[in-house]
Amino acid sequence: MTQMTKQQYVTIKGTKEGLVLRLDHKCAYSDMIAELRRKVGEDALEGLAEVQIHTGSRYCNEEELKEIVNVIHASPNLRVSKIQSDVIMIEECNHKILEKQSETYIGIVRSGQVVKADGDLVIIGDVNPNGKVIASGSIYILGRLKGIAHAGETGNIQAVIAASWLEATHLMIADKIEMMTDELTILSEHPEMECAYVHSNGFIAIDRLQELRILRPGLSSFKGGS
Amino acid sequence: MGEAIVITSGKGGVGKTTTTANLGTALALQGKKVCLVDTDIGLRNLDVILGLENRIIYDLVDVIKGRCKIPQALVKDKRFENGLFLLPAAQTTDKSAVNPEQMKTLITELKRDYDYVLIDCPAGIEQGYKNAVAGADRAIVVTTPEISAVRDADRIIGLLEQEDIEPPKLIINRIRRQLMASGNALDVNDITTHLSIDLLGIILDDENVISSSNKGEPVVMDPSKLAAIGYRNIARRILGESVPLMSLNTSKIGLFGKIKSIFEK
Repeated sequence: MTQMTKQQYVTIKGTKEGLVLRLDHKCAYSDMIAELRRKVGEDALEGLAEVQIHTGSRYCNEEELKEIVNVIHASPNLRVSKIQSDVIMIEECNHKILEKQSETYIGIVRSGQVVKADGDLVIIGDVNPNGKVIASGSIYILGRLKGIAHAGETGNIQAVIAASWLEATHLMIADKIEMMTDELTILSEHPEMECAYVHSNGFIAIDRLQELRILRPGLSSFKGGS
Repeated sequence: MGEAIVITSGKGGVGKTTTTANLGTALALQGKKVCLVDTDIGLRNLDVILGLENRIIYDLVDVIKGRCKIPQALVKDKRFENGLFLLPAAQTTDKSAVNPEQMKTLITELKRDYDYVLIDCPAGIEQGYKNAVAGADRAIVVTTPEISAVRDADRIIGLLEQEDIEPPKLIINRIRRQLMASGNALDVNDITTHLSIDLLGIILDDENVISSSNKGEPVVMDPSKLAAIGYRNIARRILGESVPLMSLNTSKIGLFGKIKSIFEK
């Protein structure tokens, strides 16, 4: 019977971390989803299982991914924990490269000027009052920050703002905003070598630059050396 | 071929026009041929400070619209032998009557005949500012030791840095020594580090500036006045001399000593 010898579009494997669903990437999407629906409905499982989806070399857009997850969630026993894919769109890839890169601006950001960067932004010079620096990543200022800084503009809550002298009027990270009120200024009477980050309580906090290593270990991208 | 210098500040009332009048006069005193151009169309007053108001026949807009030749519109200051001229602004129209291209042509024309063309810029960053900056080779930014003036100076320096001119130089006007010494006004050092441009000179606050302006005679004519020394020093620095900055502390003792000695006579 051809039906039986046919290659499987969806293979299920059990691992320590739960089930791994490997989806074939050569067949038609509709065939794959039909088989997935059938297999999930088989009801051979007991108890709750975590499922990892591997889409292999198939590119699935957001809608398709949503459909796959919905099909799996149709079974009360399965929960999707992770979706893995070997491919991404060029556009997305370029965007990720941009986010990883760091741009450097040398000079003073004066009142009324706006310096904006994709990824991290390094300013060598002061940011004067009413000057604004914006980055989708973190902002590092080798100089005095006396104006406005907005890090993680596209929503990266892990982004930080570090400056040789942090005396900003407004600090923004992702969608959080902190106006530097008197209390904060008093706290940082000598605002030298400081960094601002989003604290686990949801508010922007300011700490010594030395703490950054511990607060955001992921920021360090340095490899090699000894 | 002379040099065109625009005098600007962003904020109004910090002393652009007074500075233009006095620097022009000081340069003329040094034997240079100077032309002052008032670009504050609609709100002219450089002519008043120079005492030339009643001798205006044609103005800048007349020149640009081709209603007269440049020499016909220039008002000569009789105190100088062919040293100081004024191209007055029009009072009956507004700043949109002129565009930057026309200004550029005009200033290039003037630079041919004069050693220095000083352009008095109106307050603000709109059309009037763009006209004034269009023909300039260099820029002087005037500020006072007040936060609002320094903010605006910062803004204007940012705009000037985008123009195709030399880095602007700073004049800090109306310095009150007691206020600065007591820490109640911004310090000269604070201002220059904040704006991080070269300091061209400082002018002490001096009541004589107001009284002499009202008389139509720039204060710089009388070398005994404090502000006059400041303006003369700046003029010499523009000419390339290196003149040490007026020391605020030592001159304080010196000044009071001087005043004392005057009263003691």
